[in-house]
Amino acid sequence: MSAAGLQVVGLAKRYGTVQAVRDVTLGVGPGEVFGFVGSNGAGKTTTMRAVIGVLVPDAGRVLWNGEPMTFATRRRIGYMPEERGLYPKMRIGEQLDYLAGLHGMSAADAARSTADWLRRFGLGDRVRDQLQSLSHGNQQRVQLAAALVFDPVLLVLDEPFAGLDPEAVDAMSAVLRQRAETGLAVIFSSHQLELVERLSDRVGIIQHGRMIANGTVDELRGSGPRRLWVDAPAGWNGGLSGVRVVRAEGTRVLVELDHAADDQAVLRAALAAGPVREFAPDRPTLLDLFREAVNEPRPDAVL
Amino acid sequence: MRSSERGVDELRMLGLIIRREFLTRLRSRFFLIATALVVVVLAAFIVLQAFVFSRVGTTVTVGLVGPAQSLAQPLKAIASPVGVTVRTRDVADERSGRDLVRSGDLDALVSGEPAHPTAVVRDSLSPTVESALNQIARQAALNQALTSRGVDPGAVGSEVAGARVEVTALNPDVSQRTPRQVVGVVVAIALYVSLLVYGNLVAQGVVEEKSNRIVEVLLAAVRPRQLLLGKVIGIGLVGIVQLVVVGAAGLLVTSRTQALQIPEIAPAAVAAGLLWFVLGFILYALVYAAAGALVSRQEEVGMVTMPITMVLLGSYLAMFFLLANPTSPVAVGLAMLPPLAPVLMPVRMASGDAAVWQVLLSIVLTVATIAALNVLAARIYANSVLRIGARISLREAWRGQR
Repeated sequence: MSAAGLQVVGLAKRYGTVQAVRDVTLGVGPGEVFGFVGSNGAGKTTTMRAVIGVLVPDAGRVLWNGEPMTFATRRRIGYMPEERGLYPKMRIGEQLDYLAGLHGMSAADAARSTADWLRRFGLGDRVRDQLQSLSHGNQQRVQLAAALVFDPVLLVLDEPFAGLDPEAVDAMSAVLRQRAETGLAVIFSSHQLELVERLSDRVGIIQHGRMIANGTVDELRGSGPRRLWVDAPAGWNGGLSGVRVVRAEGTRVLVELDHAADDQAVLRAALAAGPVREFAPDRPTLLDLFREAVNEPRPDAVL
Repeated sequence: MRSSERGVDELRMLGLIIRREFLTRLRSRFFLIATALVVVVLAAFIVLQAFVFSRVGTTVTVGLVGPAQSLAQPLKAIASPVGVTVRTRDVADERSGRDLVRSGDLDALVSGEPAHPTAVVRDSLSPTVESALNQIARQAALNQALTSRGVDPGAVGSEVAGARVEVTALNPDVSQRTPRQVVGVVVAIALYVSLLVYGNLVAQGVVEEKSNRIVEVLLAAVRPRQLLLGKVIGIGLVGIVQLVVVGAAGLLVTSRTQALQIPEIAPAAVAAGLLWFVLGFILYALVYAAAGALVSRQEEVGMVTMPITMVLLGSYLAMFFLLANPTSPVAVGLAMLPPLAPVLMPVRMASGDAAVWQVLLSIVLTVATIAALNVLAARIYANSVLRIGARISLREAWRGQR
């Protein structure tokens, strides 16, 4: 990992008898979007709270650009906790102003940024409305705005897409991607794995407090065994070694190749049997990976 | 960041927090309505008291005809020290004057020479006015008698005016004590209620920030101590504003209602009350905040603040003991204990029982307690406020496991 951006090294934290997080290491570079995935209670929130400094870990370090996190750096981190994270009865404009000020912005800059962000989220006319008078989707937007209003260098978002309709999800994703392009580092958690796959540059899967996967989406998806979908007249795979049928749907079969097997040999064998209607690699989705990682059987492994 | 820069910056953060807490509470409808209500009730109470304690007809409207018109000033001057306001009207003639008396527009119609005044009334003449007219008549008659004997009434008048009784009070404060005590008690009750209300507001504010998870967002940017202090000061300022408004309103209404005499101690008592509110509030608010930090749901606030409320109630009850035994050493000692001092000291100070050294000692003790709480309560607050979930025990909170 390069030294730029966020680095979490060997994080550990215990609550009573529960080891919430053990030896967690991850990194998010500037301009990178890191998707953090895990079941409830896996340790995502604990890790994120350690990153923003409201939690003191038992072991490990949190570094920004190679240096230990200081109070000054922490103020440049935007945080969105899992639920709300704002005053329900306070006017949204005031809240954003307040938070911007607490993060070091001057009154004038804060006012300008607040107006900017609310307008960008389509809430310009609701500046003086109380948070609780907004719809859920709009409240989440305000929350995200609260994390962005002081121009942070790192965003730490705990389930920012929870409960949002697809339109809101798209809008928020667009904002995150756009900010990432200007150099903002983003780490976010979500249970919506297709979304994580779409949005993230790199993904980390955490289970029982341990990181069990960490890499780009492509790396993770390509890390499993090689599998191919082949649709050819039955019996084409008879003579092949190192090729195992994992699933069959009529003539369309999913085969798994071991190390030695050659996919070109599989293609030749299929062609030899007759017309080949399909020959495509099967790359597991993040959802598949996740299920496997948390030891749930994949639907196709029944056979 | 240089430490001086950091200091200024931290002050700015504190200022932002104080401002937010202050404005939010001040603008709340509850505050505005409650303050208005208290002012109205207080005013009504005072005005009612004035009516109850006054004679029949605090104000007497007297019509003056002819030479009697010169009696306007003397009448008012004699009547006002006894709490009766005389309003005079010049009337053109006897007949229209009698009509006005019959119709009730005038309480009495006075006519005639100062030495022989006549008064026309519907049923009876206000005793004060009667006595005043008698006094005026006698004075006028005396002046005439002196003049007819060749003596200057003015000279005689000034000799006579010098004769008065000299009063030596063995225990000068006793006569003043009761009204002063009353003022002290009123201030103490106002303090008791305010400490209760605003202390609870602090606890509720702390829990609200926990249950909304906003405390996590805030503490990612400011330190727990700043948040705690900002809250205490911000909410305390609201309390002070309310007390000043109510106190000023009370003083104003009392001064306008002439039948009720305010002891001159009243403004000083209100000032003492404000001092003890500041000290008492900081003390209790720190404890209330620490208590609030132990729970995460508003429903649980009552349970965890119960002991604090009990102590405050204790000070209220101790006040009655103090009133019954103002000079007993137990009472004096109790009044200096920091948790009880904010309610008890104003009573003692108002009734004049508190020696200066006692006042100073109680202030010093209270400030010392606040300094200790600043460390203790802040630690409990810092350790607990981010732990959202079940109620945290004091021991856990003290040991801390962020």
